[in-house]
Amino acid sequence: MSTMNAPAASVTSASAPSVPAAPRPDQLTERLGLGIDRVMAESGLWAPQLAARAFGQARGDVTRATQLLRTHRTSLPRLGRSLPVRAGELRVVRRISSAFRNPPGGQVLGRTLDYVGRLLDLLPEEEGRQRAVLASESAHEHHDHHGHEHPGHEHPQHGHEDEVERAPGHVLSVFREMDIVAPPGDHDDPEPYDITRHPARPGVPRSALLQTMARADTGALLYLWYGSEWKPGGQEAHEVPGELRHGFLPIRVEHPHTGRPVTVGDVRVSEVVSFHSLTRASELPRHLDVGYGMCFGHNERKAISMAGADILLGHYEGTERAAGLQHDVLLTLDGLDITGYTEHQKLPHHAEYRSVLERATAAAAHQAGPHRTGPHPGDTA
Amino acid sequence: MTTYPTTEMPSTDTAVRRTDRLAGPAPRPGIFDELSKREIRRAVLSGIAIPGYQVPFGSREMPVARGWGSGGLQVTLSLVGQDTRLKVIDQGEDAGVNASNLRRLVVGHVGCEEETDTREADVIQSRHRIPEQPLQDGQVLVLQVPGAEPLAGIVKNMDEQRRMHAEADYSKMWVRLYEDIVHNGLITNAAGYPVLVEGRYVMTPSPIPRWDVPKLNHSEGVTVLSAGREKRIFAVPPHTLVEPLTFEDRPFEVERTPGAACRLCGSDDTYIVQEPGPDGTFSTWVCSDTDFCRRRRAGDAPEVTALEAALAHTREESTI
Repeated sequence: MSTMNAPAASVTSASAPSVPAAPRPDQLTERLGLGIDRVMAESGLWAPQLAARAFGQARGDVTRATQLLRTHRTSLPRLGRSLPVRAGELRVVRRISSAFRNPPGGQVLGRTLDYVGRLLDLLPEEEGRQRAVLASESAHEHHDHHGHEHPGHEHPQHGHEDEVERAPGHVLSVFREMDIVAPPGDHDDPEPYDITRHPARPGVPRSALLQTMARADTGALLYLWYGSEWKPGGQEAHEVPGELRHGFLPIRVEHPHTGRPVTVGDVRVSEVVSFHSLTRASELPRHLDVGYGMCFGHNERKAISMAGADILLGHYEGTERAAGLQHDVLLTLDGLDITGYTEHQKLPHHAEYRSVLERATAAAAHQAGPHRTGPHPGDTA
Repeated sequence: MTTYPTTEMPSTDTAVRRTDRLAGPAPRPGIFDELSKREIRRAVLSGIAIPGYQVPFGSREMPVARGWGSGGLQVTLSLVGQDTRLKVIDQGEDAGVNASNLRRLVVGHVGCEEETDTREADVIQSRHRIPEQPLQDGQVLVLQVPGAEPLAGIVKNMDEQRRMHAEADYSKMWVRLYEDIVHNGLITNAAGYPVLVEGRYVMTPSPIPRWDVPKLNHSEGVTVLSAGREKRIFAVPPHTLVEPLTFEDRPFEVERTPGAACRLCGSDDTYIVQEPGPDGTFSTWVCSDTDFCRRRRAGDAPEVTALEAALAHTREESTI
């Protein structure tokens, strides 16, 4: 595709075109980090440098960048698997709970675009950045534990190093001890389904559904959840994220010689655990339903949608709705699939279309044929 | 032998050798690793073993959108070698944008030979057409498939679709065709007309015009159909019975327009598409198969097209 979509600038300019300096991948990561995170999540591949490159080459089109990144991975042999890690190991840089004023481990607001009313900043870029840094520094001087920091989001000098990193306990485990959440299903799903190697169809285990949602197009997933019958105001109560986290998870592999787990790096993820009080026929609403969402990078919108959709899937499991819902999750959320179909609309179809026109003409001729011209005068029929 | 960066760490050396063995011969960088190609070939072989059956496969991401021939591309890349003569067409044309792009990709990756003459090609990847030149023994036709499931428009539930295929329960398909006749007086299915393969599986032939459907019957070549987005591969081996679904009193109709002929080569026995004439209306016609049209003009094309040969064969069969 890249060969077909070469910029047209060189055609229109008469003299030798002057090429503006391309932003470096690290500049893209700094200024457009959330977009690059989205590319990695939708690719299902953690590779910040490559994703930044892809994002730039796709001129900011998340789906095209995702295509580039996934296609790049296809070109590489798969050599091994990392070991499972517990989500409790997640070292948070942001952690909030909407369910509790003060959850165990505390609220850690971290770096976010939330909480501050924002207007488009019309200052010159450099000046604006400088002011944001100053504001950020003064905020740090009065840093309180609730983290009312980072009024701006442009503070290159203050990266991850001064953000809180720790691993508070999950609200879910507190709820489990209180016996107010639905017990884990009796699913026997020990070996995760691999959606990159086996096409997923309705009836697949939950791991396939979660993988599909983790790689889904953010907008499509958001719609599936928001457009479901529970939203908006379909019921009086809605689910609440008991937990929203953004942070680092270690990646471990088995050492080829010693067999011991070795940490080889980490990935940044967003994680959401949502709770919803739902009743089923012949069941008291004693237990909260739990939904889980996790994706690469910082994308809370996606993780919240995923957790909500997970509750939805769990709620309808075993009912008539299940196959339809699973169908929508598995087959209408992948960004490459759904945009691939859109892209194909632009290809020539004239050989096929002649056939369509021929049938339309034939059907019209049949309608106008002698047996359809209406009763003749004197026809007694 | 591929040279790898040397390192003093013996463990890395072991890892490199293991990598080499896993991935097969030294891979060319880009597009596709050898293990994945092998997986595709296995799916193709399964498809050939069960004609018309849709084999699920772990479709990979290709450098083209899923809809621009990513399925066909995976099959083609898995089949071609450096000495393969490859023809790629879209709507019958070698020069179509999609065809040119895919050909450039494969040739650039594998270094195989570009071919436009259907007779000389070993592998022909196509979108929406089967060439007018009858295929020969040893040739492989790879068709790009946008929608693999012929029952998709009849039942949405995938379990039900699979059950219907498994039990060869195609009654709903027949009812659909019958209702079409009742409502419209004829079967309105245009391109991608459903076929029954070897009396067993109902299959979509991909959106080829009905003109091309009879060519699948008892073809000398292998036809592999691949849907990248829907992650399914299916095939029609040589000398396989392929019948378009229709009723005894409703003969299968191909696209014919009385009096119409290609303005370039004069053929009226090829699939022609409309073109604007001097008056600006779609009043003239040209061959969709540009290779065949060019050879017709040069006197290098056979008298009998693939369709005529296929229809003659079917007539012969029915009189036996």
